[in-house]
Amino acid sequence: MSIGGSDLDKAISQLRACRPIPENQVRELCYKARELLIEEGNVVGVDAPVTICGDIHGQFHDLMELFRVGGDVPDTNYLFMGDFVDRGFYSLESFLLLLCLKVRHPDRITLIRGNHESRQITTVYGFYDECLRKYGSANVWRYCCEVFDYLALGALVTGAATSLPPTSAPLADNANPDSFPSDDSEIEVETLNAQGEIMYRYARNSDSQSSNPTSNPASSSPIAPTPSRTGAAGTGATSSANGSKSNDTGAVLCVHGGLSPLIDTIDKIRLLDRKQEVPHEGAMCDLLWSDPDEIDGWGLSPRGAGFLFGADIVKCFNHRNDLSLIARAHQLVMEGFKEMFDSTIVTVWSAPNYCYRCGNVAAILELGEDGSNAGFVRRSNGERGGGGGGWILGSNVDGNGNRRLSSVLGEGALGQRARDGPGRRYRVFEAAPQDSRGMPAKKPVADYFL
Amino acid sequence: MTAKEIPNLRELLGPRRGGLSRDRGRGRGGPGSPREGAEALKDNAVRGTDQDAAGSRASCVELGYLHDPYAKLFATQTTTRRLPLLNRGTYVRTSAIDLLVDKFLNTSPDTPKQIVSLGAGTDTRYFRLRDRYPETRIVYHELDFPTNTAAKLASIQRHAQLHEKLTSKPPPNPLTLDQTATSYFSETYNLHAIDLRSLTSTTDNVTIPSLPNLDPTLPTLILSEMCLVYLKAATVSSILQTFLEKYLPSPTPVSLILYEPILPNDAFGRTMISNLSTRNIHLPTLLAYPDLGDQRARLRSYGFVDGARAADTEWIWKEWVTEEEKERVGALEMLDELEELEMLLRHYCVAWGWRDGGGEGVFTKAWDDVAERR
Repeated sequence: MSIGGSDLDKAISQLRACRPIPENQVRELCYKARELLIEEGNVVGVDAPVTICGDIHGQFHDLMELFRVGGDVPDTNYLFMGDFVDRGFYSLESFLLLLCLKVRHPDRITLIRGNHESRQITTVYGFYDECLRKYGSANVWRYCCEVFDYLALGALVTGAATSLPPTSAPLADNANPDSFPSDDSEIEVETLNAQGEIMYRYARNSDSQSSNPTSNPASSSPIAPTPSRTGAAGTGATSSANGSKSNDTGAVLCVHGGLSPLIDTIDKIRLLDRKQEVPHEGAMCDLLWSDPDEIDGWGLSPRGAGFLFGADIVKCFNHRNDLSLIARAHQLVMEGFKEMFDSTIVTVWSAPNYCYRCGNVAAILELGEDGSNAGFVRRSNGERGGGGGGWILGSNVDGNGNRRLSSVLGEGALGQRARDGPGRRYRVFEAAPQDSRGMPAKKPVADYFL
Repeated sequence: MTAKEIPNLRELLGPRRGGLSRDRGRGRGGPGSPREGAEALKDNAVRGTDQDAAGSRASCVELGYLHDPYAKLFATQTTTRRLPLLNRGTYVRTSAIDLLVDKFLNTSPDTPKQIVSLGAGTDTRYFRLRDRYPETRIVYHELDFPTNTAAKLASIQRHAQLHEKLTSKPPPNPLTLDQTATSYFSETYNLHAIDLRSLTSTTDNVTIPSLPNLDPTLPTLILSEMCLVYLKAATVSSILQTFLEKYLPSPTPVSLILYEPILPNDAFGRTMISNLSTRNIHLPTLLAYPDLGDQRARLRSYGFVDGARAADTEWIWKEWVTEEEKERVGALEMLDELEELEMLLRHYCVAWGWRDGGGEGVFTKAWDDVAERR
C-alpha cells in the first residue's frame, strides 16, 4: 500500500487523467509529503531557472494547459505560490497531482501556502464539499489540511539572470517587431503567447538616473511602447563584469499575498511557527492575505484579513533584504500578470477564465539562470528608452480583436531601487477549451444574478 | 519550451457540438418544428431562473444579509449557501431596489400607490411591504408565466403567514384556492398569469388582455428585476408602450425600475453571455443597451421624460450603502474574492426613470435626491 516508486507514478498518471486516487493512497501521499515539507524552512531556497505560478484554484484542465505551455515536470522547475484549491471543480485532483509531483521530484517543484490552504476557507469556498462529494467522508480533506499546515510560507529565488537569453521563438501574428529593441540589446522583459510566439520584448533601461521625473509608473494612461526604444542597456548600476556570478540581480521573494507590518526582514519570516492553521491575524496571516495598493505606507484591507501596502513599503523592504523583486499571486489580474511600483513587485495569476466566469487570461513567470548570458557584452552607449514611465502593452490575442491584452509594466526609475530586476519572461495562456474537459457529471456552471 | 507530450487540447477540438442555438434563424417552422421546440426550451429556461433567484435570496436571509421572513416559504429546494460574492450581490440588488421603492411609498404616504412587478416569480416584496407599510394603501400586481403563478399560489396556500396578507383584511377562514387557479385578485394583491409578450401592442385594434384591478389613475411603479432582459428590445419597448399609453394613460404618474446586466463587450461580459447561453438563457437587451448611458436613453425613449437615471451595483454599494451598514454586511462573511466581486457588481445596473404627468410630481419628489453614477 506504500506509495513510492511505481505506485507513485501510477497515481500521477491517474491524476493526470483527472481521476481521483483511493483514500488510502491519499493518506500515504499526504504522510510522505509532510515528511518532506517538514524539512523545508518557512522560506524555501530555490535556484533559478524556475517558473513561478500564481493561483490555480482547482481548475485542473487549465493546470494541464499551464504545463503544456510552461513545460512538463521535471523538465521545468516550478514554484507554485499557493491557492491550489477552492472555487474550481477539481481542487482535489489539482492539489493531489501537485503533491505527487512534489514527492516524486522534490527538488523540481516548490509549493508554498496560499490563504485558501486553510481549514476555515476551504469549508466556505468548495474544497471541503468536493472531498465530501468525491469520497463520502471528510477524511481526505483532513489529510490535505494537515499537509497545508506544513507548506512553506515563502520562497527565495536566487541566481536569476538579469537578462533573457535571446530566443529564436517566432513572432506572434500581431506583434509589432518595430517596437522591439535591437538584437544586441539586453532583454529585460518578454511576453509570449501560449503558442510560444513573442508578443512583446523590452530592453533593460538604465536606472542610474531618472530621465522622467514626472513618471507615474502606475498610471493607467494607455501609452503605447515607443518605437524609438532602441538603445541597449545603459551605464552604471546595470553594468557588471560579464558572465560573472556577481549578484547582479538581487533575490526574488515569492509569497502568496504580500508583506506584513510585523515583518521587516526575511529572517523574521524564518522565525515564525508556521505549522498551524492560518491565523486570523499576525505576520503569517498577512503574508498570505495582503495586497499591494496605490497608497502610502500601510492600509486596512477590504478583505478583512491582511493589509494593503504601498510602493514605499515594497521599495524599503526590497532594499533592506537585497531583493530585486517580490513575486506574489492572490489577486485576479485580467492580463495574467501585473507589475507595479517600478517593477519591484509583480502579481502572477495562473487561473484563466477564473471560476469559469471572469474571462481573464493567465500567466506564468520564467526566470532564467544567471550565466546564461555569459559572454554577452553590454554596450555602454545605449540610450535610455521609454517615454511615459508607465507602459501599457496592448495587443489582440486572438487576431480577431476579440480580446485586448494589456498590462502595466512599471519602469525602474527611482534612485532607491538598489537592484536590477531579473530578466522576466511571461507566458500568457487562455483557459483550456470547455469541450476538452472530460465531461463531469455536472457541467461547470458559473452563477449569475438571474 | 512547450512540452510536446502534453496534447494541445485546443487542437483536439472537433467542430463545435451543435447547441439549440443553432436552430435559430433556420426559417420559420410550423408547430412542433425544431424552432418552436427551441423557443419552448428557452421559455422554460427563463421560468427556471426564478428558483435560482429564490435560492439566492434564501441564502442571503439565512446568513443575515437581508431580513425577509417570507423567503424560505417560497424556496422549493433546501437552501444551499451561496458564495459570499453572490450573497453580497443579491444584497446590493435587493437593498437598492428597496431604497427606491421605500422613497416612493414614503412620498405622500396618504395617497394610494400601485406597484406592477413584471416576472415577479417567487419575489416576496409584496409581503414585506405589507409589514412595513400597514397604513399605506398599496395595490400590488405581479405578472408571470402561469406555471410560476400557480406555484406561487400553491406556496401561499400552504402558509398562513402568506395567505392572511392577500386581502386588506385577513380572511375569516384558512384560504381555499381552486387547485387549478393560476391567477388571484383582491383589492390589494393581484397575481396575473400572463405571458408578457401578449402585452405587445401592434395595432390599436387589437384588444389588450385585461389586468383586473389595475387602476389607470394611481401613481404606478413598474418593476423589472431580471425580467424584461430576457425579451427582445422591440418587444420590451412595445410592452412599455402598452402600459404607458393604454393601461396607465397620461397624466398618470408612472415609473420603471430595471435591474439588468450591462457591459456585454468586455471579457467578463462575453463570458457571461456564453455561459448563460449554455443554460439556454439569452439576454437580448444586454446587447441592445450595453452601458449606463444606453440605459438612460432607453428610459427616455419609453416616455420617462421627467427622470432617467442609472448606476451600476458596484457604485451603488459604495455610494448608497451607509458606512455602518457596509461594516455590518462586511462582517457577515469573510470575503476573499474581492476583484471578482467588483467585476461582477460592475456588470449589473439599476436604472430608474419616471413620468410625473404634470401632476404634483410624486416621483420627482421621491427620487430627485437619489444619486446616479455620472
